[in-house]
Amino acid sequence: MGYEEELEAYRSQRLESLSNQPSRSVRGGSDPIQVYVNERRVGELEGVGVDATLHVKNLEHIETIQLRTEDGILLGGLVAPEYGYRTSRIQVSSDAVELCVHNTAQGGALNAAFVPAPSYWSRTWKALADVADRLAIRRPDTAIAHSMRTVAFTQALLAILVVGLVVDRMTIWMNPERMLVSVGQSEALRTVSVTEMEKLEHQLGELARIQEKVGTALETQQKGMAQLHQTMAKLSSSHESVASSVVMVKEEMEKRQEGIGSETERATKPPAGRGLVDQDQLELAVRNLVEDNAKLSREVASLEERNVTLAAQVQTARMTASKAEDPNPERLLASQEDVERKNQPLRVAEGLQSSQKQPFLFWVTFSEGTSQESIDQWVHEKRGHKGAVNEGWQEVRIVPPAVPPDLFLEQIRGEKIVKAARIRE
Amino acid sequence: MQNTVGKSQVMADHTVTVSRLEEVVSTADEFDRVVSQALPVLLDRATGYTKRFLRETGQWNDDIEHEKFALRWGSEYLERFLVCGRTEVPCRPLFLFDSLVAKQHSKPEPFCYHPDLLRPLGRFLDGLVARAVVSRDALIALYHHSYGWGPGEVIAATGLNGLESQRIYKNFRRWRDSGWQRTMDEMGLTKAELAELSSQQQRHRQRFNSEGERLIRVAQAHYRKSEPDHYPCLSRSQWREMFTQGYGCDYRIWHLALCLDCVQTAWGVGSNGSLTEEKPRLELQVRP
Repeated sequence: MGYEEELEAYRSQRLESLSNQPSRSVRGGSDPIQVYVNERRVGELEGVGVDATLHVKNLEHIETIQLRTEDGILLGGLVAPEYGYRTSRIQVSSDAVELCVHNTAQGGALNAAFVPAPSYWSRTWKALADVADRLAIRRPDTAIAHSMRTVAFTQALLAILVVGLVVDRMTIWMNPERMLVSVGQSEALRTVSVTEMEKLEHQLGELARIQEKVGTALETQQKGMAQLHQTMAKLSSSHESVASSVVMVKEEMEKRQEGIGSETERATKPPAGRGLVDQDQLELAVRNLVEDNAKLSREVASLEERNVTLAAQVQTARMTASKAEDPNPERLLASQEDVERKNQPLRVAEGLQSSQKQPFLFWVTFSEGTSQESIDQWVHEKRGHKGAVNEGWQEVRIVPPAVPPDLFLEQIRGEKIVKAARIRE
Repeated sequence: MQNTVGKSQVMADHTVTVSRLEEVVSTADEFDRVVSQALPVLLDRATGYTKRFLRETGQWNDDIEHEKFALRWGSEYLERFLVCGRTEVPCRPLFLFDSLVAKQHSKPEPFCYHPDLLRPLGRFLDGLVARAVVSRDALIALYHHSYGWGPGEVIAATGLNGLESQRIYKNFRRWRDSGWQRTMDEMGLTKAELAELSSQQQRHRQRFNSEGERLIRVAQAHYRKSEPDHYPCLSRSQWREMFTQGYGCDYRIWHLALCLDCVQTAWGVGSNGSLTEEKPRLELQVRP
């Protein structure tokens, strides 16, 4: 064979092989179908009359899907889109394989499901159900109505067969002479009738079994429907709760946004329309916000405390300095006020400080027989000055004492010339 | 004169077919009909593209081996197009076919090319390993063609259980019945070439096997990329764990068939004494 002839023979053989695509009919009934993604084997679908499925997730994009027999014959395939879904139903003999491929930016996913051909009985049953469908009245719940019609039709068929069987038996019992007359044929007839009877009984048995199966299927379907309803109810309630949580979170956010400045508002306001997915993020933001607020409050409180301490220290220092430089309490007070004016930052705890800036005022009565001179000297010793006299009580103003007022009054009461002392008039 | 008329007629038919392929087809049935009438045109087109690719990549020689190689891949692309193209309707079949071939040729290594793999022994081994990637029958038969094993030895060497064992016997039977012949036809191996290979196997066994080992390693290195990408080579302890724990059935079957070294590494780890102590050596078998 020459070069050209050999090549032509090979080409013809290749063309013949391609034109006689055996694909759709060669697969053995029970052989698995090999599934290839991007020309790599990823698994197989069991093809033994059951609904087998295969799920494949690929990090890369899925480009092609091929179905092959165990001996490598290409049964079918699909070219996947770059993005999005594509589905295809590939006929394999009388069975089929349903492919659904989905490509995203993250990769590709394939769902393959083997759909076996319906059996003889299921096909017959479907035909009967179709007839029953045409005869029966339509009801709103089509799934249940369909099953009910099927059951009703089966029962009617069963009843007809039973009646036929009974009539047949009765005919035989009612005409025994006829049976005797035809003795020659009787054996053969009996054989035939017995055979037919057996057949009928067998068919009846089959029908009864089918009816049972239909009943079971109907029950299962009803259970499935009930479960579906329950699941739907659960789903809707959970959906509602999620929605209400979102509303609550939004309200909470709004409240907080009102309380906090515009900058905080910008930081915590969720982007509009993000919906349920952002619920967790919102909650987290709220929590962070609360924590930040608490932290800020703590810091403000600590600053206030520190200011008070600082103010007290400054006061003490001033007093010490005043003592050393100028014994005149009025000047001391004036200079204090002067310094206060100059020292604006120390006015944080204003209320507390104002009580310390004003002179301490108290009322005192002296023991009988105390001379005015002694009283003046006592007032001088206290670095105070006298005020009005009301019903024997002398008003005295001094620089606020270092000790608490009660203790100060106790100390004064303990002195010889003092009879009584009080703060209020 | 008659010859010229005939050629003109062929040219006219070709033009009509091509113009029909350029038109839009709307249904899968229409696609099947149009494409089935244009198989020779499409085969020549795909073969032409493959030749051009080989020329442009410096892998072409004007000999029958290269012509057969281009034809083989042309028919491979056409087969995929016949199956996948019908899911792409509506489309213009000719443009779809061109894009499919172009996509194949834009891959890093679209096919396993080595000058030695174009000779009869190379084509035989290339055909076996290439088929093993798409056919479980060929994969299992690769154990037989590489080591001369029967189903029992394959089951023992791969440590399979009862259910899988039945499948191995089926794979062997189908390969003997039709798989082997189909593969040889696909590779364009003639009866004379196969007879010559059998003769070499008988007369110069050692040389035949050493040459076979060199070539099968080239083929396996290329086609092993097509096995599931989570099936790398393992150490002996990893193989032992897999065999003793009883998992990775597919892993064992696929990887060991396509890796001479791992067969040596994993030899005997799960056999319970049913295999010989001596590690297997390549003993090429031409016939199934």
